[in-house]
Amino acid sequence: MIKVLKPGVQLTIQDKGRIGFRHLGISQTGCLDPYAQVIANRLIDNNDNEAVLEVTLGLCELQFEADTVIALQGADLNASLDDTPIYPGWSYEVKAKQILSFDTGRAGLRAYVAIKGGINVDEVMGSKSTDLNAGFGGLAGKALEAGDLISIASLDKPTKSFVKRGAITPPKLKMIRVHPSPHSLLLGNALIEQFTKIAFKVSHNSNRMGLRLAHENNLTHSHSLDSLGVSPGSIQLPPNGEPIVLLNDAQTTGGYPLLGTVIDADLHQFAQFRPGDSIEFKFVTLQQAALAKQKLNGHLSQLSLAIAHSQQ
Amino acid sequence: MTPTSQIYVLTNNSLLLDAGQANQGDVLQIQKKIWALAAHLQHTNEFTDIVPGMNSLTLYLKFAADLDKWQSALAQLWEDIEATSFKGTHHNIKTNYQGEDLNYVAKTNNLTPAQVIELHSQATYHVLFLGFQPGFAYLYGLYSRLYIPRRDIPRTKVPKGAIALGAKQTAIYPAESPGGWQIIGHTDTKLFDSTQPNPCLFKPGDTLTFININAEQGE
Repeated sequence: MIKVLKPGVQLTIQDKGRIGFRHLGISQTGCLDPYAQVIANRLIDNNDNEAVLEVTLGLCELQFEADTVIALQGADLNASLDDTPIYPGWSYEVKAKQILSFDTGRAGLRAYVAIKGGINVDEVMGSKSTDLNAGFGGLAGKALEAGDLISIASLDKPTKSFVKRGAITPPKLKMIRVHPSPHSLLLGNALIEQFTKIAFKVSHNSNRMGLRLAHENNLTHSHSLDSLGVSPGSIQLPPNGEPIVLLNDAQTTGGYPLLGTVIDADLHQFAQFRPGDSIEFKFVTLQQAALAKQKLNGHLSQLSLAIAHSQQ
Repeated sequence: MTPTSQIYVLTNNSLLLDAGQANQGDVLQIQKKIWALAAHLQHTNEFTDIVPGMNSLTLYLKFAADLDKWQSALAQLWEDIEATSFKGTHHNIKTNYQGEDLNYVAKTNNLTPAQVIELHSQATYHVLFLGFQPGFAYLYGLYSRLYIPRRDIPRTKVPKGAIALGAKQTAIYPAESPGGWQIIGHTDTKLFDSTQPNPCLFKPGDTLTFININAEQGE
């Protein structure tokens, strides 16, 4: 068991999320930074999709009630195990009664904690992810609260084979690459072109559903559309001209015109943007997007090779 | 005659078929083709998600390598698919028409409450698509005499099972949520249950009627 002493701003159980239910209005949910999830899991030989804890901003304290092994990834939120600082990209042995705490960080917003063997909550529609809006999944369909007990796998052979491992985090970007808009005719070339020239600021009004972007230019319009399918990465432009990048908890259909869709390889960056951070966008081709994805997957393959090597 | 459609590449693994734009066509007839196409594509097992919108269909491919294939195949499929080749399930929704706003709706639209109930329960509604919340259905088939503006001040809590009117739509709230629609009734029918293998009662293309449970008591 892990006991939640302090949840911080938002602490949830997430895996890759729910796939195949969007036509029923069911959001994807899942880790906003799936690469951090996968890397953390690989560092401790978990399955890639094992559920992890997503820590938002920090100010979180967790007490372990049994010995285990964990890995940290994502933002550096100045974590410590009791009084010893620990770092993203590394695995650590944890003894019963030890306290994992997060302060806050200078950059980045979300840290991920993978636990050896995973988190024991029931799968709902094929996923352990918490759906905060609809209130199911995770632990009782809610963000974790002080006093909650998270059931974790018990270790068969405690720590004999423990190898401390580190992984490098994929690079951070400020220039986000985007697929072209299906509504460019409607919105007009001038507006679309302006979109790529603005340095946006992440607004405070952002959450797991979407990231709102403030700016001082004029992107207002008066178009409304029939609802169409939207997904994490869709960039909606409401009439007020402030774009919203939809994230994992977003609803499945929407009626605002789209400015484009964030490429797969860059979407995980949105887990780490904080209010006030600056973002710019540029359009890329399908080939460029595919290459970016390959590069990121290459990063993961290197990690797997390194892990395999360290086991020899 | 086939309504025109436009196909957009959204990402390396998603496509949008938009059959609504510039069509003066019959919304329901176009949507029937959308459901038929969705059902057809479901059988190919090549998509992770197939999401109907209003006269549109968004497709999420399992493999990006198939993008070109589907981009060219879709236009032809849309030509060929028959609106009639899809049949949804019909649902009877037992309704207690004692909603908070029933009298307001009646007064505003120059009807008696009994006429509001009669008009609302006479129609057969089609589930055009789902969105907003798990199990929330966008329904087609509301009589225009029941069109009514949303409330000036939205309720902070619309109860689960509320049956409401807003603009040209009627809907059932699958879960408690804030909302600005006019509540005319309630149902105990569960629209969403995350613990069930089929978590949502409705699927796109289903039909439903509201059954007035007080009518049998001979009011």
